[in-house]
Amino acid sequence: MLRFFRRIAFAALLIAFAVAAQVDLQDERILLTFIPNVQFAPFYVGIEGGYFADVGFNVSLEHLQEPEVLDLVAVGQAKFGIVSGEQVILARARGRDVVYVFEWFQQYPVGLAYDDSRDLSELEDLRGLAIGIPGRFGASYSGLTTLLQSAGLSEDDVDLREIGFNAPEVFCLGAVDAAIVYVNNEPLQMQNLASNGDCGDVAEIDVIAVAAHVDLVSNGLIVNRALLEGDPDEVARMVRGFAQALQAVIDNPAAAYLASLKHVDSLRADDSLLRVLQAAASQQQEFAASHPGRDAIALSRRQLARELAEQFGKELLTQMQVLLNTIELWDAENLGYSDLESWDAMRDTLAAMGFLDDAAVHLPEAFTNIFIPGPVE
Amino acid sequence: MRLSLRELAVAYRAPAGGSLPALGPISFDVAAQEFVCVVGPSGCGKSTLIRVLAGLAPASTGAALCDGELIEGPMPRIAVMFQDANLMPWRTVLDNIALPLEIAGMARAARYKIVRKLLPQLHLERFEQAYPAELSGGMAQRVALGRAIVQNPRVWLLDEPFGALDALTRERLSLELLRLRQRYTQTIIMVTHDISEAVFLADRVIVLSRRPGQLVADISVGLPRPRSSDMLYQRDFLQLTKRVRASIEELGN
Amino acid sequence: MRKSPTVLTHNHDTEPWVRFSLLLRRLSPILAVICLLLLWAWISERELISHILVPPPGDVYRAFVGALADGVLAKHAFVTLQEMLYGLLLGVGIGLAVGYAIAKLPLLEYILAPIIVGFQSTPIVAYAPLLVIWFGSGPASKVVTTAVIVFFPTLVNTIVGIRGVSPKLRDLMRSLKAGRWRTFRHLEAPSALPVILAGLKTSTTLAVIGAVVGEFVSQGSGLGYLVTAARNLYDTPLVIVAVLTMTTISLCLYGLVALVEWRFLVWQRRSNI
Repeated sequence: MLRFFRRIAFAALLIAFAVAAQVDLQDERILLTFIPNVQFAPFYVGIEGGYFADVGFNVSLEHLQEPEVLDLVAVGQAKFGIVSGEQVILARARGRDVVYVFEWFQQYPVGLAYDDSRDLSELEDLRGLAIGIPGRFGASYSGLTTLLQSAGLSEDDVDLREIGFNAPEVFCLGAVDAAIVYVNNEPLQMQNLASNGDCGDVAEIDVIAVAAHVDLVSNGLIVNRALLEGDPDEVARMVRGFAQALQAVIDNPAAAYLASLKHVDSLRADDSLLRVLQAAASQQQEFAASHPGRDAIALSRRQLARELAEQFGKELLTQMQVLLNTIELWDAENLGYSDLESWDAMRDTLAAMGFLDDAAVHLPEAFTNIFIPGPVE
Repeated sequence: MRLSLRELAVAYRAPAGGSLPALGPISFDVAAQEFVCVVGPSGCGKSTLIRVLAGLAPASTGAALCDGELIEGPMPRIAVMFQDANLMPWRTVLDNIALPLEIAGMARAARYKIVRKLLPQLHLERFEQAYPAELSGGMAQRVALGRAIVQNPRVWLLDEPFGALDALTRERLSLELLRLRQRYTQTIIMVTHDISEAVFLADRVIVLSRRPGQLVADISVGLPRPRSSDMLYQRDFLQLTKRVRASIEELGN
Repeated sequence: MRKSPTVLTHNHDTEPWVRFSLLLRRLSPILAVICLLLLWAWISERELISHILVPPPGDVYRAFVGALADGVLAKHAFVTLQEMLYGLLLGVGIGLAVGYAIAKLPLLEYILAPIIVGFQSTPIVAYAPLLVIWFGSGPASKVVTTAVIVFFPTLVNTIVGIRGVSPKLRDLMRSLKAGRWRTFRHLEAPSALPVILAGLKTSTTLAVIGAVVGEFVSQGSGLGYLVTAARNLYDTPLVIVAVLTMTTISLCLYGLVALVEWRFLVWQRRSNI
C-alpha cells in the first residue's frame, strides 16, 4: 500500500516538473495584421516547430488593423507586432516611439497587374490608364505613388479608381486597365481566372513589381523603445526565434504549408496532397540537413512547384503557390536586415503623398539591425 | 325621416363555425321626428341594431329601410353617436366637430363658421381649441353630439351616449339633448340600459329580449313635452318606468 | 392660449430653494457632459492612460479647429450627411409604403415575414461589403446601406401605427362616407404619426451607422473615411473629431425629428399634462 502511494507521489512530482517546465516558457502574443493566412507561415512554423519555445516563448497570434497593432505595441500592451515600415514612419511622426528590429519582407510586395498583351515596357506607358486600387491608404497606395514617381508621373496622370480589395473581379470585369495588387497573391488568382477564360479577352497576366524599381522598406517586427532599452535580451531572443522559423519556411515550404493547416481554416489539402506534401517535407528535411546553398534551396522550391503542378489542379494549389511566391519576397542572404536607403525611399514616398508634414522623422531611430543574427557590415 | 325594420335579423359567424344569432327577427317602425328608446338586457343586440341602421353592419335576413329606401351602407342623413365619444385625440374640439364637413369637402372658413355657431348651444364656446384629452367625459360627449348635429342629419342613432357618465352629468346632458332635439326636430333612436332615462326622453320605449333580441314590448310614453327633471318624481313617470321594468324582468325566467 | 381646467397653479415653486433645485434638475444632463469632459481632461493630464490612446482635450480641440479651417471636416461631414439624407429618404419612403401595404394586407405580411425578419436580424456590417460590390464604391452603396438600416424601424412602426388605428374611429369614418384617401389623410396618417415619428427618431440615429459602415467598407470620402484616414496617419485627435462630428450630425437629425414631433403632436404634449 505504501509503495502504491509512493508511486503516486512520484508521478505527481513528475507532472509538477513537467508543468513547471511549461511555465518556464514566457507567454507572449505577437500582433499581426490581416487574417490568418498562409503568408503568416513563419509564425505557424515558429509555434509548431518549436522555434519560439527554443528561445523561451509560448507565442499566441492575434490579427488586428495595422494602426491598432502599432499603437498597442507603442503603449506596451503587446511587446511584439508586425507592421509595414511606412506605418513606423507615420507613427513616429506622431510621437509613437516604436523601433523596427527585423525586416521580414525583403522585397516590397506591391505591384501593378495588367494584361500581358498591353505594352508597358516603359513606366511612362502608365499615363492615362485606369488603375484600380483598394483605396488611398496603406501599402498599395504607397506602392503606386512610388511607381508613378519613378515614372516621373503624378496621380493626375492616371485614372485612379478605388475598388476595395476586389482587384481580380474588378479587373476581369474590364472596369480597370490595371490594378495595384500584392504580387504574391492576386496575380495568381487573376491568372487562374484568365486561364479559365473568365477574364474577358485577357489570357496572360503580367506584373510590374514596385521592388524592381525602388527598394522600399516593407513588413517587419516592431517593439517599443522601452522594451528595446529595458530588456534587449528579450528582443534578441524573439528575433532569433523568428529568424530561425523564417529560415525553416524558406528551406522547407511543404513542411510550412502543413504547419499552417492547423492555423488557417481556409487552407485546403485533400488526402493525396497531404501525402505528397508530407513526403516532400521529409525529403526536403534530409536535403536541407546537407547544408546546401541558398541557390540550391531556391532551385528545390521551383522543383517542388513543378512536381505539384503536374499532379494537382490549380485551384487546390493556389495557397501553396501563394506561399512559394511569398517566400521569394522573404528570401535574402541576410534575413532581417534593412538599410537606410529603403527607409529614405519610403519617407520620400510618404512625403509625396502628403502624409508627412515635414521630413523631420529621424530615420536612424526608426530601425536597428543590432539583433540580426547574421553577419552585419 | 321614417325608419322601418322588416323581419330584420343579424347573425355573426361563430369562431367554431356555424352562426351565432345576435338580433331578431324583429319588425317595428319609427315615425318621422319620433324619439324611440330601445332597452333590454345586456347582449340583446341593441348595439347591433344601431350598427345595421347606420349601415356599418349588414342584415343577415330581412331589411332596414329609411324612408322606404333600403339601408345598405352609411347614409349622409343618418348620424351615429357611440357610448365612447370616439373623438380624434389629435384634433381640437373645433376640428373634431368640423370633421364631417371637412370630409364632405367644405372649405375651412365655411366649416369653422358653422361649427362656431353651434358651439354655444353645446356650451363648448370656451373650449374650441382644447384637445379631447383635456375635456371631461360630459364635455367630450357634447363634442360627439356636436359632430353628429353638424352634419344636419335627419336621423340620430345614439348608442348608449351617456352610458359612461356619472348620474348628474347624464341628467344634465339628457335635458340638453331634448333641448337640441326641439331645435332640430329629428328622428332619434337611442339605445340605453337606463330605464328612467329611456322613459324620460322617449316617445316610445321598445324592449328587446335576451339574445337574439326580439321585440317583447312597445310602450308609448304619453308624458307631455317639454319635459323637466321634476317629472322624474311624478306618478305617471314612475308607473311607466315600472311597466318597462316589469317587461324586462319577465324575461328573467 | 386657454389654460386647461384640470391644471392647478401651484405657487410653492416660487420659494428660492425649490427654484434652485428645479434649475439644477433641468441642467443636470449638461452637468453630466461637463463632468465627463473634466474626467477626460483629468485622465490625460495625469497621463493615467497614454496620450497615444486617449489624447488630451486640447489636442482634440486643436485638431477640430485645424480640420475646420482647412475645410476637411466640412467636406467629409457634408458627404456623410448627404448619404444619410438620401438614405433616409429612400429607406423611410420605402418603409412607409411597404409598412402601409403590409398593415392593410395581412396576407402580404404572412408572405414577407420570413424575409423581413431574416434581413432585420442580420447585422448590416456583415453584408455591407456585398452592398458595396453590388452598388459600387461610390455614394450609391452608402445610400443603400443607410436605406436598408433605416428601413426596418420605419416599416415596423408604420405597421404598428396603422394597425393601431382605433376600429371605432374607422367606423366613424365609414359612417361619414370617407373614401380611402380621406380615411388615410384624416384618420390613419394622424393616428399613426406618433409611432411613425418615434420610428423616425430611431432611424435617424441608425442612419449615421449605415453611412459610416458603408464608408468603412469602401473608402473615398465621408466621416467614416476620415476616421480610417486619420487612424492610418496615427492622428487620434482627428479620429475623435470625426467621431464626435458623427455624434453631432446624428443628434441634430434626432433633434430635428423631435422638433417636428413638438410641432405636430401638440395634442400629445397637452394630453400628458
